[in-house]
Amino acid sequence: MSLRISALEYVQEVQNGNISAEDYVSKTIEQINNVDENLHAFLQINSEAIDNARQIDKKIKSGKNVGACFGMPISIKDNICIKDSKTTCASNMLENFIAPYDATVISKLKQQDAIFVGKTNLDEFAMGLTTEFSAFGPSRNPWNLDYVPGGSSGGSAVSVSAFECLASLGSDTGGSVRNPASFCGVVGFKPTYGLISRFGLISYANSIEQIGPIARTVKDTAFILNMIAGLDPNDNTTIDNSNQDYLLGIDSGIEGKKIGIIKEMIGEGIDSAVMSATKNAISKFQGLGAVCEEVSLDMVKYSVAAYYTITATEAGSNLARYDNLRYGYDFPVEGYEFNSYISKARRKFGPEVTRRMILGGFVPSSGHAGKYFLKALKVKQKLTQEIDQLFKKYDFLIAPTVPVLPFKIGEKIDDPVALFLVDINTVTANLTGKPAISVPFEISNGLPIGIQIFANSNDDKSLLQAARALESTVKLPEVPI
Amino acid sequence: MTKIGLEIHCQLTNLESKLFCPCKANYREYEPNTNICPICIGLPGSLPRLNQKAIEKASMIAMALNCSTPEKIAFFRKNYFYPDLPKNFQITQLNIYGDTSIGGLGYTMVGEKKIRITRVQLEEDPGRLIYEGSSSKNQTTLVDYNRAGTPLVEIVTEPDFENPKQVREFLNILSDLLQNLGVSDPSLEGAMRADANVSIEGGNKVEIKNIGSFHDLEKAIHFEITRQESLYSRNIPIVQETRHWDDRRKITISARSKEEELDYRYFLEGDIPWIRIDKDTQERLQKEMPESISSKKDRYVSKYGIPAQVADVLSSDKFYSDLFEQSHNEKNAKEIANIITTDLMGLVDTREKREQSKFTSKHLEELADAIQSGKITRNSAKNALYEIVKTGKDLTQIIAELDLGNVSDESEIEKIINEVISQEPQAVEQAKKNPQTINYLVGKVMQKTKGKADPKLTLDLLKNKIK
Amino acid sequence: MVNEQEIEIVAKLMKIEIDDHKEYIDKVHAMIDYFDILDNAGVQDEEISMKDIPLSNLREDKHIPYEDKLIERLNNYKGTYVRAPKMI
Repeated sequence: MSLRISALEYVQEVQNGNISAEDYVSKTIEQINNVDENLHAFLQINSEAIDNARQIDKKIKSGKNVGACFGMPISIKDNICIKDSKTTCASNMLENFIAPYDATVISKLKQQDAIFVGKTNLDEFAMGLTTEFSAFGPSRNPWNLDYVPGGSSGGSAVSVSAFECLASLGSDTGGSVRNPASFCGVVGFKPTYGLISRFGLISYANSIEQIGPIARTVKDTAFILNMIAGLDPNDNTTIDNSNQDYLLGIDSGIEGKKIGIIKEMIGEGIDSAVMSATKNAISKFQGLGAVCEEVSLDMVKYSVAAYYTITATEAGSNLARYDNLRYGYDFPVEGYEFNSYISKARRKFGPEVTRRMILGGFVPSSGHAGKYFLKALKVKQKLTQEIDQLFKKYDFLIAPTVPVLPFKIGEKIDDPVALFLVDINTVTANLTGKPAISVPFEISNGLPIGIQIFANSNDDKSLLQAARALESTVKLPEVPI
Repeated sequence: MTKIGLEIHCQLTNLESKLFCPCKANYREYEPNTNICPICIGLPGSLPRLNQKAIEKASMIAMALNCSTPEKIAFFRKNYFYPDLPKNFQITQLNIYGDTSIGGLGYTMVGEKKIRITRVQLEEDPGRLIYEGSSSKNQTTLVDYNRAGTPLVEIVTEPDFENPKQVREFLNILSDLLQNLGVSDPSLEGAMRADANVSIEGGNKVEIKNIGSFHDLEKAIHFEITRQESLYSRNIPIVQETRHWDDRRKITISARSKEEELDYRYFLEGDIPWIRIDKDTQERLQKEMPESISSKKDRYVSKYGIPAQVADVLSSDKFYSDLFEQSHNEKNAKEIANIITTDLMGLVDTREKREQSKFTSKHLEELADAIQSGKITRNSAKNALYEIVKTGKDLTQIIAELDLGNVSDESEIEKIINEVISQEPQAVEQAKKNPQTINYLVGKVMQKTKGKADPKLTLDLLKNKIK
Repeated sequence: MVNEQEIEIVAKLMKIEIDDHKEYIDKVHAMIDYFDILDNAGVQDEEISMKDIPLSNLREDKHIPYEDKLIERLNNYKGTYVRAPKMI
């Protein structure tokens, strides 16, 4: 039995009785034990995973109703709460935090008999795009261990790419699902804002972020989406998707569709290998019967500045609750005055989080709000208007997911502004609430390149069809792991 | 001229659940930290779940204060660190991106004086702090989050008050109004709180915070006016600042240095979409609103001929006006209004007495009928009411048990009249000369019958006897 | 524009003690400098708004007690309180 199958193939094999959940999950745990010392995708492993699988096998044998996952091993980014287990956000601040509830996505997957093999690494509180800012050490790219896996859902992408699970859930605030998916050669999907409940996702910048699946195929992505999407009374920002089946008709193709290539995302600073991959992708789309032309999205130039202004502001507020009074680490209050106590307690935040806190105090403060924060909100507004205009004419927009190839661990960690530019192609989907997906497309010098496709709000289903169409033209080499 | 403005915080105590979670809105009967959940305690991953009824009730308050009501409302975060604030920000409302608070400009009348309302906003109440330890050295702070997330309506007025008396009158009117709307019970501890800002002619505006009760609010305003006038008379400038009310010493203290640091970094609460309250919804709410106090009063006067003063008392108290509405009909309205305002109000003048009392609107109806049909006298009715409140027994039973029924048997009354006439010859002579004094004799008859003799019949019979 | 004093004020506002001011000044300064491009976006006339939902989509006003003794899972003091430092 090989671990190197897709999630849907797994379901098929278990249903046909060719493999058992226990076999597959045991082998998955074995794989984690073998490779994760080097990759560091996981922060915790679920010690009950094999037992859980055995239970599901029993259920299958007894002929009871079994959920659609049939014991499928799934990994979860460690900023999504699983009841009675640690949720650390890769931060020393929450090192001991045990969530008293399941996130909505977790309850839904449990109902479908998924097995959570472990919690995956991330940049502390999801602030970063390399997973280097994890308080517990970086994850490594399975394609080349010297390279970053992208982030912030780096652990999730690595675990899917290195066969440590069949699929994963990450969160995407400015590209945090798509960026590591692109860097690790897997599929990463950021849905329309509100399609997936955020209840139980520890907020970083709540007005723009979404949970998103990471999987090895587009079909697997649609399969996971089917189980976790839809209206949730626990999240007032969720939208009704009328129980759409995202797998149904996923092979419909894109013949006759109109695709816009976003000019601002293939301009200055783009790596030549990424540029050539983009050109190849355009040819493939044309070969599939789509019409492609270059379009302009003027506000993209300002999008990263707007993105960081908004996220720092929201993060400054969302992370204010970590004052160590109600939960946290052992640090008695005796002898301290309130302000000095919490200022000391909050030193447990890592340097990147601290920097963004400072930024988050600065840009919305009464003295500077007009200069930074208000303008950022207005850029967001105008960018949304511009992209809405484009979607009147085009079915999809495309761009490379990241304008550069994966880089080495430590290469950009000290240059925040250089890191900003890595985000330039992904933040637009978050600022505008549009769905976007990264599809693995080429390998250049042994490093993956992903192509990103955008669709209009609530067109997640046709977006997955377009992604599937592109995927069908690609055959990537095996990950060297 | 003195200018006073108010910021009144009013809890929506009649709601079942908190503003953003299903914990109990009325937290008062709980042991510390037993009325909490991941949402109101702000645990990581929790999200606010807005209470529909809180919006409806707050909107009704805005309408009752004649405020403009926008079709879309928004929530904002007010960011500051304090241990009673589980998320270290408060979800509140603001008008920085257009009018998005639940209520815009409005007004209410205090007698002839128009008090303008700046805005009405809906927000969450923080938890409660309890200080432990005697000296500042060993002091710690205990936090009880039972109150955290309780729905709170803030009403901000323009600085239209000229003196503490107007403030008090306004607060009484507001308190009656909230009660009449059925949104709040202002008599509950902490259900209504207010901050004030005060300025005198030629001086800057001073805000006073931390005032525990309405009683202290008046004192604080008095103190502040006196303090400012004293500064002014000595040519010392009155600086714009925030002062705290010191409950123990009954003075205000400058809190300026602390406030200067505060920068609330207000921004939109992304976890709550803007809420659409379209014209149809607003009309529905308007229809669902209970009749206003002034409309009730007008109706009582014009429809039933109840004296204006009685109608005023009756309409402004929800408890009594509800009772009146339940028990009255065209015929007995005046009598019922009379029973409530002259007798009942004295018997159940506190919350405890009201809660313990056993009477129902049916009792009032029966009582009024008994009076109107001459079954018992007003005097006996008063005694019966006392029993009813105490025991909740049936009126007929009480009349029988206490022997309160009217004596309207002519021969029986005549017998007693004869007794009185023989015992009071002087008074009889006087009554012959001056018919006005006959009431003395009527009184004597009443005394002998313990107030049960039909007064009209007694008078007629007496008049006949001593013509 | 971002000086040591300003960083200190913001750190105080955000309640985070920092040691290496220089490190924060340099990096935060670089970030803020980059944000200055927002001045060129020409968005003065844009109005801020957000997605809206009807009133009827909101939670029904119903009391549902939380099934768990949550305080026992938190840092508690004397069993039922949360303890904070002194407030002076």
